[in-house]
Amino acid sequence: MSPPVGPQLAALSRRAVLRFARQPSSWAPATIFPLLLVAVNSSAMARVAEIPGVVPPGTTFLMFLLPAAIVQGVLFGGIAGGSELATDIQGGFFDRLVASPVSRPAILLGRLAGAIAFGIAQAVFFQLVLWPFGAQVESGPAGRLTLVLTAALLSLGVGSFAAGLAARTGQPEAVQGYFPLMFILLFLSSAFFPTQLMSGWYQRVAEANPITWMVDGMRSLVLEGWSWFAVAEAIAVPAAICVLGMVFATRQLERRLAVAG
Amino acid sequence: MEPTVRTAPIVAEGLVRAFGDVRAVDGIDLEVADGEVFGFLGPNGAGKSTTVRMLTTLLRPTGGRAIVAGHDVVREAAAVRFSIGVALQDASIDPLMTGRELLHLQATLYGIGRRAGRERSDELLERVGLTEAADRLVGGYSGGMRRRLDLALALMHEPSVLFLDEPTTGLDPMSRVNLWDEVRRLNSEHGTTVFLTTQYLEEADELAHRVAIIDHGRIVREGAPSTLKAQVGLPTLLVDVDPGTEDAARSALSTVGEFRPTRAGRVAVGLFEGASGAAEAVRVLDAAGITIHHMELNTPTLDDVFAEATGRRLEGSGEADPT
Repeated sequence: MSPPVGPQLAALSRRAVLRFARQPSSWAPATIFPLLLVAVNSSAMARVAEIPGVVPPGTTFLMFLLPAAIVQGVLFGGIAGGSELATDIQGGFFDRLVASPVSRPAILLGRLAGAIAFGIAQAVFFQLVLWPFGAQVESGPAGRLTLVLTAALLSLGVGSFAAGLAARTGQPEAVQGYFPLMFILLFLSSAFFPTQLMSGWYQRVAEANPITWMVDGMRSLVLEGWSWFAVAEAIAVPAAICVLGMVFATRQLERRLAVAG
Repeated sequence: MEPTVRTAPIVAEGLVRAFGDVRAVDGIDLEVADGEVFGFLGPNGAGKSTTVRMLTTLLRPTGGRAIVAGHDVVREAAAVRFSIGVALQDASIDPLMTGRELLHLQATLYGIGRRAGRERSDELLERVGLTEAADRLVGGYSGGMRRRLDLALALMHEPSVLFLDEPTTGLDPMSRVNLWDEVRRLNSEHGTTVFLTTQYLEEADELAHRVAIIDHGRIVREGAPSTLKAQVGLPTLLVDVDPGTEDAARSALSTVGEFRPTRAGRVAVGLFEGASGAAEAVRVLDAAGITIHHMELNTPTLDDVFAEATGRRLEGSGEADPT
C-alpha cells in the first residue's frame, strides 16, 4: 500500500513555490538583472533597430530584447530552483522525505515545481512590465501564451539539469557553478544581438547554438506575428532540454537513492 | 500493511555497514521488544547514526539483515517507511515553512486525508505545546521548539515504532526534560516502541528500559541500565571519620562490605547489599561510637559500564582511571 502520488506531488510543489516566494535572494536577482540588461541594451543599442533587416518596420529594439529578458530570467530561476534540491540534501530535509513513503518521482518533480512556477511568473512579469514601454507582441494573446509555455519548459529543463547536479553533488555551491555555463551559452546566442550583425567564429557558434533557435522562434512571435514554425522553434528546444534534463536528473537521483534500502 | 514476519518490532542480525575498508557498523545483533524504550548509547563516531540510518531504510546494509515492524529493511523498505516514525539528528526542519504547514505536508506524504490531517496537526501541536507558534516560520523557533516539532512530525501517522536519533543534542536542560516527559508519555500511554540513540548517559538512564552500548561499530554491552551498573561493581560508601578512628570504623563496617583504598580520615567500603546496605552501615558505626562527619554513596554509572567495557570514559575524554 502506497499513499496516493497526486496529493504528495501537489503538497511538495506547494512547498517549493512557498520556499521560492519566501526567499527574495532566489527571485530578486533573476528579476532585476534581466530588466537592467534590457534597459541598458535598449538604450545603448537602440539604433541597431534602424539597420535594415534587424527588426520589421514599426517594431522596436525593446521588442527584440523581450525574449532575451525572459530567457535570462528563466536561466537564473531554473538554476535556483534546481539548487534547492541540493539545499534539501545538505540540510537533511531530503532524508526526511526519503524516510517517508513519498513517491520518489514526486521528490524531484515537487522540487522542480518551484522553478516552473517561477518561469511562468517571469514570462508574465516581463511581458507586463515592458508592455507600457512599447514591448508589444505581434502574435497577440496566443503568442504571449506561447512565450509563457516556452519559459515553463525551459525552467523545467534548466531546473532538471541543476537538480541532477544537486543529486550528484549534494552541494548548492556546485549547482550555482553551473550558472556561468548557462550565461555563456546565452551570450553566444542571438539573445542580445542579431546574428546577421555578427561575424567570424562568433556568428558560426551563435547560429549553431540551440538557444538561438529558441530565441529566434520567440522573437518571431514578438516581432512578426503568429507562425506555427516559430511556435515549433520556441517550444522544441526547451522541450528537448526538458527530456535530456529529466533523464539526467532521474539517473542522478536513482544513483543517490541506491545507497538507501 | 500487515507485517510479513511476526517478530519483535526491531531485530538486527549481524548487521554490517562498510564504507570502503572501514566497517562503521561491524556485525551487530539487536532485538527490541514491543513497547520498549531502547537506548543506543555510544560516543560520536561509534556507529549509532549509521545503525539508525540502516534501520530506517536510509542506508543499505552491506551485510546481515534487519527487520523493522515486521518488514525487511531492504526488500520491504516501503512498508518499513510506512510503519515507522523518524526524527533524525541531522534532518533539518525547513526554516522557511511554518510548523503547521510542515505538519500538513507530513500528513499528505503519509496518505492522510486533508481534513484528518488538519485535525491531527492541531492535536499534535497542542500535545507538543506549539499551538501558538504554529503559524510562525520555523526559522524563528528555538532549538527546543524545533525538536518538539520534529517529534510531532514523526508522530503524524501514529507509528508503532519510533526512531529518535539524539533527540536532545544541543538542547537546554529544561527543554531536554520536557522532551523526556513526552517520550515517556508516548511510551506509557500509547505503547510506542522507541529506539533512542544518545550520547548522554543521563538520558539513557532516565528513559531506556534497556540499553546497548556501541563502540567502534560493535555492541559491547546490552541490558537494563540497573543490571549493567550492578555488573560493574558494588556501590561504594564513603565515610569521613575522626582521624585515628579509621581502624575502629573499618572493624565495625567489616560485616557490611569490602574495603577500598582511600585517604586518611575516610573509610571507603563496597556495600555487599547494594545501596540498601547504607542504613546498616550507619547503625554499626553508631553502635561502635564512631562520629560520622560526612557520608556519601557512589553508585556505578553507565559511564562506569562504558569504561569497564572499553577502557575509556564516555563523559570527557581519555582513558578510564584504572582505580
